Order: sequence, then structure tokens, then C-alpha cells
Amino acid sequence: MTGLALDLLIIASLIGLAIQAINGASLFRGIIHFVVLGLAMSLAWARLDAPDLAMAEAAIGAGVTGALMMIAYRRLIEIRPDHDNATRTPRSRLALPIALASGVLVGVIGLAAIQAEPLPGQAGIAVLETLESTGLGNPVTGVLLLFRGFDTLLEITVLLAALLSAQAVTRQDDLDRSLTTEDPDTPLIGALLAIVVPLTVLISVHLLKAGSQETGGAFQAGAVLAACGVLLALTGRLASSRDYSPLLNGGLLVGLVSFILIGLAPLLYGQPLMALPGVWAVYFIESAMMISIALTLVLLFAGAASLKRRSRG
Amino acid sequence: MIEVALPSIILFLIINLIAGMLRVYRGPTLADRMLAALLFSTTTVAALLVLAEWMDLPSLRNVALLIVMLASILSLAFVGLPAGREEAADDP
Amino acid sequence: MSPTESVSLVLLLAGCGFYLAGTIGLLRFPDVYCRLHALAKADNTGLFLICVGLAVLSADWQVAAILALVWMIGLLAATVSAHLIARHAHGAGREPVRPRPDR
Repeated sequence: MTGLALDLLIIASLIGLAIQAINGASLFRGIIHFVVLGLAMSLAWARLDAPDLAMAEAAIGAGVTGALMMIAYRRLIEIRPDHDNATRTPRSRLALPIALASGVLVGVIGLAAIQAEPLPGQAGIAVLETLESTGLGNPVTGVLLLFRGFDTLLEITVLLAALLSAQAVTRQDDLDRSLTTEDPDTPLIGALLAIVVPLTVLISVHLLKAGSQETGGAFQAGAVLAACGVLLALTGRLASSRDYSPLLNGGLLVGLVSFILIGLAPLLYGQPLMALPGVWAVYFIESAMMISIALTLVLLFAGAASLKRRSRG
Repeated sequence: MIEVALPSIILFLIINLIAGMLRVYRGPTLADRMLAALLFSTTTVAALLVLAEWMDLPSLRNVALLIVMLASILSLAFVGLPAGREEAADDP
Repeated sequence: MSPTESVSLVLLLAGCGFYLAGTIGLLRFPDVYCRLHALAKADNTGLFLICVGLAVLSADWQVAAILALVWMIGLLAATVSAHLIARHAHGAGREPVRPRPDR
């Protein structure tokens, strides 16, 4: 009974927050509502028994996206100091019908999904049955790397393509602007970084390792590592730069390249494409993907071609 | 008894959150609205911890740890907003 | 109900009380500096009590260690955030509300 009330309350607040996030009285309120929506969403995923998604939502939604929007808001004020309030675009007349139509669509699909009975031949059941023979304990990792590895490969490619197109439209003078939002020598920031940065690295490696048996995996670990990089960029420890860095570009590519190479290798032995040779391959690809995902997200956040350590003083 | 108490506690915490959202509407400054987001992250962490115990999902504790670790990113991004013009920037 | 459960229930309810106090403070206090106190202090005490309550309930050292870590990092994050927000409000020229001299 209380469980039902809890679920209904979470659903109601999700809808309310989503409306406020896109329809709030000002951009800043929209940002706050969006951040809060991310937190409520991770509660909802937790209630739905999906800790993997709750974790990704917590790292991306609550950590990185909120900061990204805050930075964008600041740029907006800088670019058009007089137009802060007029930045809300007038609502289109089509907005209400489209919203209603998509609401109905979601409702119909949801009702159909609730009433459908699980078929015995479903893929999900087959995955759970075959999982034991693969040596992996986490069905999510199993699906991502063994059963639907091709999707994951394409996702990594899309992430890289997103970075390339973002860099193609970034203006040169934007690169010279600083992301740093506070004087780097503010007393408490050094202490915060000294504790949080090692801890994020530790947690992301833990998530990577735990990913094969329980909640975690390359995406979550990469997102946590990226949040750590964002923290360093915001506090002025990392600065964007235009210099070509072979190490950084190698890191961007290592996930995709190692996935492709290990995926192609079975062809030499007459086995099907992307039949991964064992659990070590899963670990190897996940580690490489974690590095690439983290670097891509940090570079996307900074809108930069490369990063360098900022010299103090 | 405890099986009923845990969801009621989560329910209470979420109602608390919704009450706290009033501060986002009332403002009046950007810092006030920011505070409400701060309240949200602390309370969500508590709700997730209770949820981990109630639903017997230990990995939710890791989610709570992540939220706590990353909560300061938003504040760090927030203080970069130009301080002098916050009233003009946000009064509806 | 076992004694462990009653102890943890008392702790959890006390934590909820502190959360309630924090929310009331956020809504009722006169200016941003006072509201910071309401959040940074009351909510973290609430989080502490809830963590202790859950640790007692789970009776597991590993869980207790994670809960302790969550609480300590939360304390650190709240400290830094409160400091940064107060600095921002001060930089924006917000004067703290003072009691009127004629009372």
C-alpha cells in the first residue's frame, strides 16, 4: 500500500518536474528543475529495480548535465547581457496538440505493455539462461558486450562522431575562454579535490571491475571518470588547449579500435564476427571503452580540442 | 513493522522534497533556488539509502555515494554566474 | 519487533524529524544566509541519524562502512557548496537580515 503511494508520488513529481523544466518562468529555474528531475529519475529507476540506470542517471544527469547547462547559461548572459529574460522562445501553436498526442501514445503503449504476457521464447529469458555459461554475472554487461555487441560498438562510434561534429562547430575564440568558474585558490576547493578526485577514480575502477558480476560497467565507470574531469576543469586544474596531443587522441580511439580488433579476430579462426574469445576480452574492451568514454565526455564538456594541465600562479 | 516503516520514511522524505520545491518558486535570488537543489541531493541520498535497505538492492548505496560525490559540481558551476546581475537575470 | 529494529526505527524517525526541520527552515527563514544554516546543518544531521539507523538495521560492517563514507563525503560536499553559495550571495551584495534596533 505504501509502496503504491510511493510510486504514484514519484510518477506525479516526475511529470510535474518535466513540465516545469521546459516551461519554467525563467531559464535558471528550468535548469534547477532539470537537475532535480535527474535526481527524481534515479529514484524512479531504483524503484524499478534497475540500479544500472539509476547509476548512469546519477552520474550524467545530476553531475555533468547540470553543470553543462549552468555553463551554457553563463555564456548566454555574456553573449546577450540585455536579453536574459527574452531568451524564452514563444510557444508554438502546435505544442499542445503534439504534447497531447505523445501523451496518448505513451499511455497506449504503456497499457499494452502492462497487459502483454511474457512469451516463453523471449530473448530476455534466453539471455538469462545462457548467461551462466559465459562466466558473466551481470545480464546488462552480457547483453551489451556478448549478445548485442554490435549495438555497443555503434554507440561508441556515435559518441566519437558527436565529439567530432562538436569540434567542427566550435569557434576558435570560444576555445580561449576559460571554463573556470571560481578563483582556483578558494580555501575549501583544494581540500574537496584532494578527497573527491582519488575517490572518483577508485569508484570508477570498482564499477568497471564489478560490472561483470553486479551493477556497473564501462558506461557508468566512464561517466564517473568524466565527472571527475569536469570537476577538474571547473576548478581550473585542467584547461582547454589547441595543441595536438597524441596521448589524448590515442585515449579517444582506444575503445573503438580495441573493440573492432578483438571483434574481428575470431574471423581468423573461422568463428563468427564479434564472438568474443572469453571474459578477459570483456574486461579489456570495457577498460578501453571506459577511457574513451570519459575523455570524450570531458572534451565535449569543455568544447575543446585538447586539454592541458594549468600551471599555477 | 519495520517493513511498513521503511517505505513510509521514503514517502515522508519525498513529500519533504516537494515542499522544498516551493523555495524554487519563491526565490527571490538565484542562490535561494540553488539551495533547493542542494536540499534535493541530500534528501535523495537518504531516500536511496533507505530504498537500498527496503528493496534489498545493495548497489543503490553506490548510487547514493555517487550523488554525494558529484553534488559539488553543480555548486562549482553555479558560482561562475556573474554575481552583480542576478536580480535582473531571473525576475520573471 | 526485535530491540535492534526498535533502536533503528527510533534513529530513522529522529532523522526524518531533522529533515522536516531543514525543510521548514528553508521555507521560513528570512534570508539566504539563514537558509544555508537550515540546510547544511539540519539535513546533514538527518542524514547522519538515518545512516546510523540503517547501519544498526543491516548489522553488517561492510554496509556500515559505505554508509559512513556516504555521510562523510556528504558533509564535505555540503560544506563546500554552502561556502561557495554564501560567497556568491555575498559577492552579489546581499546584506544579511539583522534584527530591527527598536526591539
